[in-house]
Amino acid sequence: MTENQTPSTEYQIVAYCCEHCAYAAADLAGSLRMQYPPEVKVVEVPCTGKLDPLMVLHALEDGADGIMAAG
Amino acid sequence: MIVAEQKPLEEIKELVGEAQKVLVVGCGTCVTVCFAGGDREAQILASSLRMSSKLDDHPQDVTDLTVQRQCEWEYLDPIGEDIQKSDIVVSLGCGIGVQAIAERFPETWVVPGLNTTFLGLPTEQGVWSERCAACGDCLLGLTGGICPIARCSKSLLNGPCGGSEEGHCEIDPDTDCAWQLIYDRLDSLGKLEMLMKLQPPKNWSTSRDGGPRKIIREDLQLAEEETTN
Repeated sequence: MTENQTPSTEYQIVAYCCEHCAYAAADLAGSLRMQYPPEVKVVEVPCTGKLDPLMVLHALEDGADGIMAAG
Repeated sequence: MIVAEQKPLEEIKELVGEAQKVLVVGCGTCVTVCFAGGDREAQILASSLRMSSKLDDHPQDVTDLTVQRQCEWEYLDPIGEDIQKSDIVVSLGCGIGVQAIAERFPETWVVPGLNTTFLGLPTEQGVWSERCAACGDCLLGLTGGICPIARCSKSLLNGPCGGSEEGHCEIDPDTDCAWQLIYDRLDSLGKLEMLMKLQPPKNWSTSRDGGPRKIIREDLQLAEEETTN
């Protein structure tokens, strides 16, 4: 693990990714050994249209500092 | 259905005040289908209140529950213990739900989370329109099924006023003139002659003008010995 991959407690981002595009892209990025900060937690959703405000609120309540909707 | 809108979060926070244990109660009937106070909205409000109170350095214990119908005590009784354990209940029912809780649980402080707005129907996705004023003396049989009491801004009984402009009401070009709608409908059904009959002044005593209303059906009431058993 390189220095810039060291887990940080500074921020936590939950990334809701559409299984048809963004999640597949993240998967491909992983296959290509591309790096992204470990503070980003990827959550696969069937479609970002399914991203309910409650999911966002619960993530924030549980300590997330930011939400990313990728689709 | 009864159509309502959620109050702004700031207003709800003000109503809740410093209470420590807050219970948000949703209703599974009218306000669920108008997306104002169902289970999902109750959860969202509870979560918003929890986060907001935390940001205000006064974290509150906010939980939520939803019953099938707040306007019947039978549905409230199963959550009676949760209600009584709370410092305050935020009802996401209509005004009837709020009062049902207040009446059934006299020791509990209950506040409304919604503004109950009107009796209406969804006319397109995301749009609700008023259709009934609950006047207590329905005259839809005279007007082709279009209510001039609820849908005419002046509740006129004998045709449109001078403010009817190209089928729209003078108060707002987006509001249909109810009497234009009535005329067009009766015309299309070949019943225009119905409009020749003048309607006398309406007896408003069956409406709110007669004070709070009550219906008593003796055929449905329980006999005294049955209520004591």
